[in-house]
Amino acid sequence: MTTVTGAMLAQVVVSGLLAGSLYALVALGLALIFGVMRVINIAHGTLLMLGSYATYWWFTYLGWNPYLSLPAAMGLLFLGGVHDPVDEKPLEKRAPELSSLLLTFGISISLVNLAQLAWTSDLRSVEFLTGSYLLGPVAFSKARLVGFAFALGITVLAFLFLGRTKLGKAIRATAQSREVAMVCGINVGRIHLLTFGVASALAAAGGSLVSVIVAIQPEMGQVWTFKSFLVIVLGGAGNYPGALLGGLLLGLVEQLSSLYLTTQVSEAIAYLLLVVVLLIRPTGLLGGRT
Amino acid sequence: MKRLGPALLALGLLAWLALWPLWASGYRVRFMLELFMWVALAQSWNLISGLTGYVSFGHVAFYGTGAYTAGILILRADWPWPLAVLAGGVTAPILALLIGYPCLRLKGPYFAIAMLGLNEVMRVVVSYFDGLTGGGLGLSLPTLHASVPVYYAMGATALGATILAFAIITSRFGLRLMSIREDEVAAEAMGIDTSRYKLYAFLLSAVAPGIAGGLFARDQGYIEPISVFPLLTTITMIVMCLFGGKGTIFGPVLGAVLLSVFQELVWARFLYVHQVLFGVIIVAVVLFMPKGILGVLQERYRLPRTI
Amino acid sequence: MDGPILEVTQVTKRFGGVTAVNHCSLSLTPGRIYGLIGPNGSGKTTLFNCVTGLAAPDAGLIRFKGERIDHLPPYLIARRGIGRTFQVIRVFPELTALENLLVVSRGDGEAARRRAMELLTFVKLDRLHREYAGNLSYGQQKLLEFVRVLVPEPELILLDEPAAGVNRTLLNDLLAAIRDLRAQGRTILIVEHDMKVIMELSEQIFVLDYGEKIAEGPPEVIQADARVIEAYFGRG
Repeated sequence: MTTVTGAMLAQVVVSGLLAGSLYALVALGLALIFGVMRVINIAHGTLLMLGSYATYWWFTYLGWNPYLSLPAAMGLLFLGGVHDPVDEKPLEKRAPELSSLLLTFGISISLVNLAQLAWTSDLRSVEFLTGSYLLGPVAFSKARLVGFAFALGITVLAFLFLGRTKLGKAIRATAQSREVAMVCGINVGRIHLLTFGVASALAAAGGSLVSVIVAIQPEMGQVWTFKSFLVIVLGGAGNYPGALLGGLLLGLVEQLSSLYLTTQVSEAIAYLLLVVVLLIRPTGLLGGRT
Repeated sequence: MKRLGPALLALGLLAWLALWPLWASGYRVRFMLELFMWVALAQSWNLISGLTGYVSFGHVAFYGTGAYTAGILILRADWPWPLAVLAGGVTAPILALLIGYPCLRLKGPYFAIAMLGLNEVMRVVVSYFDGLTGGGLGLSLPTLHASVPVYYAMGATALGATILAFAIITSRFGLRLMSIREDEVAAEAMGIDTSRYKLYAFLLSAVAPGIAGGLFARDQGYIEPISVFPLLTTITMIVMCLFGGKGTIFGPVLGAVLLSVFQELVWARFLYVHQVLFGVIIVAVVLFMPKGILGVLQERYRLPRTI
Repeated sequence: MDGPILEVTQVTKRFGGVTAVNHCSLSLTPGRIYGLIGPNGSGKTTLFNCVTGLAAPDAGLIRFKGERIDHLPPYLIARRGIGRTFQVIRVFPELTALENLLVVSRGDGEAARRRAMELLTFVKLDRLHREYAGNLSYGQQKLLEFVRVLVPEPELILLDEPAAGVNRTLLNDLLAAIRDLRAQGRTILIVEHDMKVIMELSEQIFVLDYGEKIAEGPPEVIQADARVIEAYFGRG
C-alpha cells in the first residue's frame, strides 16, 4: 500500500466535496418527494439522465453552453414532473408506499428503455470544460468546480424557496402533516405535483452539471437514485439540511475509500454504507422522521 | 363430485406437460422450460411481496446465488448436477437469512431500496471472489445435453412452488402473513411475532429461485454476473405476479403464462420495446388493476379468496 | 389473584418537545371496569400504547400481574393476556370476517374455527363470516374488532373509544357484552368521550389532563370534581 501524503489527502477531500455537492443537489429532490408525498421515487436517477441527455442534445445540435441551458433543462423536467401520475388518489389507499414504489419503478423502466431505443447505449459526453486548475499539489477539475458552484447556488435557492416563499412554506407544511395542511386551505394535490416538479428540476440540474463530467448513457441514473437514497438515509428523511450534509459526507467517504481500499470495494462502498446505516440508525445519522 | 372436474383437468394438464418433450421440438421444450422457471420465480416473489407486502426488488439475488452455487459445485467440486442444483436451493435461503434478519426490520420503502441495492452488492461480491467464481469472465460448465431432464426438474420446481403457495395461502400461517400486509401494527398488537413470520416467508421465497438459478446454470452451461443478476429478471417476475394477481395462488401462474407468451412474441426482436412495455404494464396494473387479473375476477364474481 | 392486575408507575412519554404522558400512575384491581377520560390530547391513547408496547416509556414502569412489561415487544405483551382495540378501526380489510378472527387464534384448527364462529354469532356477524372485512359497515367493523380482541381470552382488555360512531342499538349490545366480560372475571379499561357510557359502565374512573392524572374515583365523585370540570370546560 502506498503511503498517503498530505497532498493526496487534500486532493481526495477536495474531490469528495466537489462530488458530494452534486449528490446533495440531486438528493434534495428525492428528499422533497419523500418528505411531502411519502413516495420513494425510484425514477429519480432516470430524471437526472433525461436532464443529461437534454443538455447533450442542446449542446450538440444547437451549440448551447451546458451551463446556460441548465435552466432550460430544469424547466423542461419541471413541466414533466408536474404532470406525473404519482399522486395518491388512484393508488391503493392502504399501501401507498408499495404502490408508489412499483409505479415509479415502472416509469423508470419505461423511460430508460425508451432512451435506449431513441439514443442507443452509446456513451456520450459534453466536451465543454476540460482540464483542471492547479492550486499547489491539488488539482481541481474545472467541470467539477463549476458544477460545485452551480450545485451550491441552486441548493441555496432551493432553501430560500422553501424557507421564504409562500409556496415553499406550503410545501413544508404539507410535508409535516397532510391533514393539517388541508385544513389550512392548502390544495394538497397541487402541492404534490408542484413538489414533484421542483424535485424533477433539481434532478435535471444535477444531470446537466454531470453531463460535462461523466459518460452519458441510458442506465446512468440507477446509481444516482441509489446514492440519493443513501444520502437521505444518512441525513435523515425529511431533513433537508441533512440531505446537504449527507451528500457531502458521501462524496468524502467515496473518495477516501478509493484512497485506502481497492477499487472494487470502493465502488461498492455506497451500497455497503447504505446497508450499514439502515441497520444501525434507520432514522439517519442526523435524525429525522422515518 | 364437484371437485372431480377441476382435478381431472389438472391431471390432464400435468400429463400433457409431462409428455411434451416427446413430441415437441427442442426450441419448444426450451420455451416451456423457461415458462416453468417464471412460474417458480413469480410464485416465490408472491410469497414475500404478495403476502406480506414487503416488496423485494432484489429477488434475483437468490436466483443468481443458486446459479453460482450450482456452477461452482459442478465445475470445481465435480458434483452431479441434480445435487448441485439442490444445493443452490439451500444457499439461497441462507443468504435470505443473512439479509432478511437485519433488513426485514426496516419499514417498507427502506426494505425495498435495500433489496434494490442487494443486487449490485451480489455482483460486486461475485467479481471480488473471482478465483472461485470466475469473476467477470464467468464460469463455463462442462457441456451436457440435458435439456429434457432439466425440463422435468424445472417443471417439478414450478409445481413445488405452486403447491407451497397453495399450502401457505390456505393455512393460518398464510393468514398471519397477510395480516402483516393488511396492518402490521394491529397484527403485532394481536400477538403475532411479525418479525419471525416475515423471515419465514422470506426464507421460503428464496428456495425456488435458488433451484431455478441452478437449473438455468446447468442448462445454459455458462454463467456470468450480468446474466444471473439482471434487474430485468426481478422486473419480469414482479410484472408477472402483479399482472396475474398478487396474493393469490394461481395469479402468478396466470401472469407467467400470459407474459411468457407475450415475451415470446415481442422480445426476440424488440428487447427495449419489450422492456418499455413491461414498464407500462407495471404502471397500468398499479393504477388500474392493482389486484391483478385474478384479483379483479375475485371482486367482480365473488370468487373465494383462495384461488 | 391478589394484587393489582396492572400497575402503571410514574410513566412518562415524550415525543420531541411534547410530553404526552407525564409521571402517570394508576393501578387496576382485577375484575372491574375502569374508565379513562380526559380532554383531547391528554395522553390517553399514548398511555394505551405504552401499556401494549406500541410505544416505549421514557421513564417509569409498567407491571402486568406483577411482571414488568414495559419495553417488551407488542406481540409478547399481547400473548401475556392484554388485548386492545384502536381508536381508528384496524381490521384486516382483505381478509374475511372469519379470517380476521382465525389470524389471532392459537391452537387446533377445528376448535379455533368453532370458537371464532361463536364469537361472530355473539355480535351477530355470523352470516357475514365470508365477507371481506373491508366491505363491512363501520359499525360491523367495530364489532368485528371488538370480538377479535376476545379471541385469545385476554385477562385485561383496553378499549379505545368503543362507542365512537356506533348507533344506539349496537351500543346497547356492546355495553351488554362489556358487562358480560366483567362477569367472566376480566378487567376492562375504557377510553371514551361519551360521558354517559363511561359513567354508566365504570366502577372507577381515572382522569388525565396534559398527560397527568388529575383525579381518580367512582363516577359520582368524578362528576362533581372541580378539577375535572375545569379541565373539560374551565379553560379559555
